[in-house]
Amino acid sequence: MRRTMLYLPGNNPNMLTRGYLFGSDGLVLDLEDAVAMAEKDTARILVRHFLRQGEFGSCEVTVRINGVDTEYWKDDLAAVIPFPALQGIRAPKVDDAATVKIIDEELSIIEEKNGIPVGRTKIFCLLETAKGIWNAYDIASASPRVAAIIPGGEDLTADLKTSRSSEGTELDWARRMLVFAARAAGVDPIDTVFPRVTDDAGLRKETEFIKQLGFEGKSVIHPNQIPIIHNVFNPTEQEIEKALKIVAAAKEAAERGQGAVSVDGRMVDIPVVKRAEYTLVKAGLLEVK
Amino acid sequence: MAKNALGREIPEFIEGYGKTKLFQGAFALKPEGYRAGGKIRCVNNTCTDKRVSGIKAAIAASGLKSGMTVSFHHHLRNGDFVVNMVIDACAEMGIKNLTLFPTALFGVHKKLIEHIKSGVITRIMGSVNGPIGQLVSEGGMDVPVVLRSHGGRPRAVASGDVHIDVAFIAAPTADKYGNICGTQGKSACGSLGYAFTDAQFADCVVAVTDNLQPYPAAPVSISQLNVDIVVEVPSIGDPAGIVSGTTKVTRDPLRLLIAKYASELIEASPYFKEGISFQTGAGGIPLAVTAFMKEAMIKRGIKGSFGLGGITGYFVELLKEGLVERLMDVQSFDLEAVRSIGENPKHIEISADWYANPWNSGAAVNMLDVVILGATEVDVNFNANVNTEAEGALLHGTGGHQDTAAGAKLTIIAQPLLRGRIPCVTDNVYSVTTPGEVVDAIITEYGITINPKRKDLLDACSAVKGLPLVSMDELVSRAHKMSGPTDPVATEDRIIGVVEWRDGTVIDVVHQLKKK
Amino acid sequence: MNTAQAGTLESMDCLVTVSEAAQGAGVKIQIAGSSAARFKSAMEKKAAEVIASMGVKDIDISIQDNGALDIVLGARVEAAVKRLIGGER
Repeated sequence: MRRTMLYLPGNNPNMLTRGYLFGSDGLVLDLEDAVAMAEKDTARILVRHFLRQGEFGSCEVTVRINGVDTEYWKDDLAAVIPFPALQGIRAPKVDDAATVKIIDEELSIIEEKNGIPVGRTKIFCLLETAKGIWNAYDIASASPRVAAIIPGGEDLTADLKTSRSSEGTELDWARRMLVFAARAAGVDPIDTVFPRVTDDAGLRKETEFIKQLGFEGKSVIHPNQIPIIHNVFNPTEQEIEKALKIVAAAKEAAERGQGAVSVDGRMVDIPVVKRAEYTLVKAGLLEVK
Repeated sequence: MAKNALGREIPEFIEGYGKTKLFQGAFALKPEGYRAGGKIRCVNNTCTDKRVSGIKAAIAASGLKSGMTVSFHHHLRNGDFVVNMVIDACAEMGIKNLTLFPTALFGVHKKLIEHIKSGVITRIMGSVNGPIGQLVSEGGMDVPVVLRSHGGRPRAVASGDVHIDVAFIAAPTADKYGNICGTQGKSACGSLGYAFTDAQFADCVVAVTDNLQPYPAAPVSISQLNVDIVVEVPSIGDPAGIVSGTTKVTRDPLRLLIAKYASELIEASPYFKEGISFQTGAGGIPLAVTAFMKEAMIKRGIKGSFGLGGITGYFVELLKEGLVERLMDVQSFDLEAVRSIGENPKHIEISADWYANPWNSGAAVNMLDVVILGATEVDVNFNANVNTEAEGALLHGTGGHQDTAAGAKLTIIAQPLLRGRIPCVTDNVYSVTTPGEVVDAIITEYGITINPKRKDLLDACSAVKGLPLVSMDELVSRAHKMSGPTDPVATEDRIIGVVEWRDGTVIDVVHQLKKK
Repeated sequence: MNTAQAGTLESMDCLVTVSEAAQGAGVKIQIAGSSAARFKSAMEKKAAEVIASMGVKDIDISIQDNGALDIVLGARVEAAVKRLIGGER
């Protein structure tokens, strides 16, 4: 599940120590925007110590590296890849499939050098330019390492020569495009952050909207946002009850060797059963198959 | 040297304190005999005005002499002018060797240090915080301080352990015949709860006011029956230090997380039902617990009976919304609480005796279902320390910690496991304030840790899906792992603090710190 | 004298200052700040471990602590020494 992926500033010991306690599905240890230029080296060392010895509970752990257009990204990768705690890297400013391939190759070299199965490290691509969004499908399908694509917020609006509004009009098309590209390529669409950290009602509204668009989850910049987003993404008790009925009926039918089943007088076919199973996974009542 | 029921070494006699009674268990000591009486007064109609002019005249009229005991209440908190004003005047009048018996001291009272050094004050019975605590801990007083809880203090007075010669009562409103209340006037502080016992038992009671009203002033908290002298001064306190503005629920994610776990425990407990009563105080975590409980109460459709203790605007909101029926207020923390206690008959002023004294016919804490407390440390036996900080210095008063823990059916200590590198859970606390037998659960950012003797609570929590239960063993080993081994506190043999349990037995002693 | 710093004085962090020392001077560690009273030994041990693992024999280290756990202290000492050796700021 990737309902919530919480950014932790890479040079902040307090958040690196406690970040996982707030219950997000994933963590993004940030070496990029949250770290000042003069502290790139210290943050990298700190994050490495945490990957080696820190605790992350059951969170999916990723590191946001600096962009391939900077002098830092290779050092970032070399510092973090060797640790089993790391499950993926979040790559900023991915404009095209070529960027993914460059990172993919570098990852393979480091993995091989460190005796890690090649391909273990996943890539979460941030599409922060108009070009990146335009190339979304190509990016998502550029490597089997790609696990998710994520639209940028501030950078993307700047590149579109507009500004961020509370309604998110300017990001509307990018978000829809991104969901289509991700689903077509079989990777997760994950939304950008909601920057107004004390606006709980605004966050809930935006989360409801992006959930309806088809997003799998959202990037998070403040721990207090997590329960609100989970609340939106979690199935309601009614949905769970209905899903349990459907899955049980399907199982019974399968045991009797029947294909189609009916629940509450309605025919239920395979896509509906799949969706019900997915609901139960999200409710924590079914293991991911 | 003998060991008390918690295995703490307590001398039979402590210089400057006297013979000790060993702590035997939270409810073991059964008192006998009669309460101490007050001095008989006779005032007839030749006296129709108790006013004197100026604080020195009041001190002189009170008969205060070197070697006596003076008491003060702390409702003006960090805005208080009265303690410093009176002791300054005593010093100028050549009065020495006083025992200071405040209900609590604040940062503003650090001015007393000069009077401690010059011998005006030679003994303190009451909390010593900040710089005074540091001074005492480093051996700055010849006589140990005696720490008592909010309930232990009135018990000590009523049972005759402590005799008050003169009580100076800061009075936000008074009339010339000594009727006092705290809810009116420019220095309004709301409840005067902690002053009641002193007014009742002191040989002489002096009301110090900056808002003199025509006789008879009303409403009345402490009446003319117990007040001997009234003195008007330009100002008894700084309103900015007396009450805070609106108390807001924290946005700090760590505190919110801990508060959420605490409220989940309360919700899972058998006490979360119609008529629940609770005390949560004004700290960040407890206030957030109240906010989460409010949500849960609305969701589950239950209403509480009363909120107790120090009252905040947040509690007032619960009262207004009908989520609690009454507020029992021993101390009003913010402007909203001060306003409410003055206006709303469902918001009642209670004395410290009523609030917490173990030796009367039943204190309010006995009726409490749930209390949320803090602590600087808790040990594997759930003993809690609120008096000393990591470096071993006396830094906090006991407050109502012991009393509410002993009274409430569910006593929760909610605290981050780590403050910086310093863990709040240890093998053995540096000094004990409250024994583990009355502490039911510890809440940290790592989850809910239940005292194993509360098997009923463990069962109730296990029945709820997803509650993060963490055993004490796990919690303490996590603390060890993250913080590493601690260096011992280097101390002298000399005792500088005696921590009494609310019944007057000695639960622990605090030693002087070695010079670095 | 060549010196370098790493870390901050934020909560749960520490500011580590390292200075070159003459050959044979050994490792000297000074600790001040919030955990110094109760965790001096543990902090000295951790700092010394990191120094040794980096093969440095002579150095002066000053730690201004604001509640850093070992994991953070180790990272800050390592970063400061790397800056010193690398000749960067």
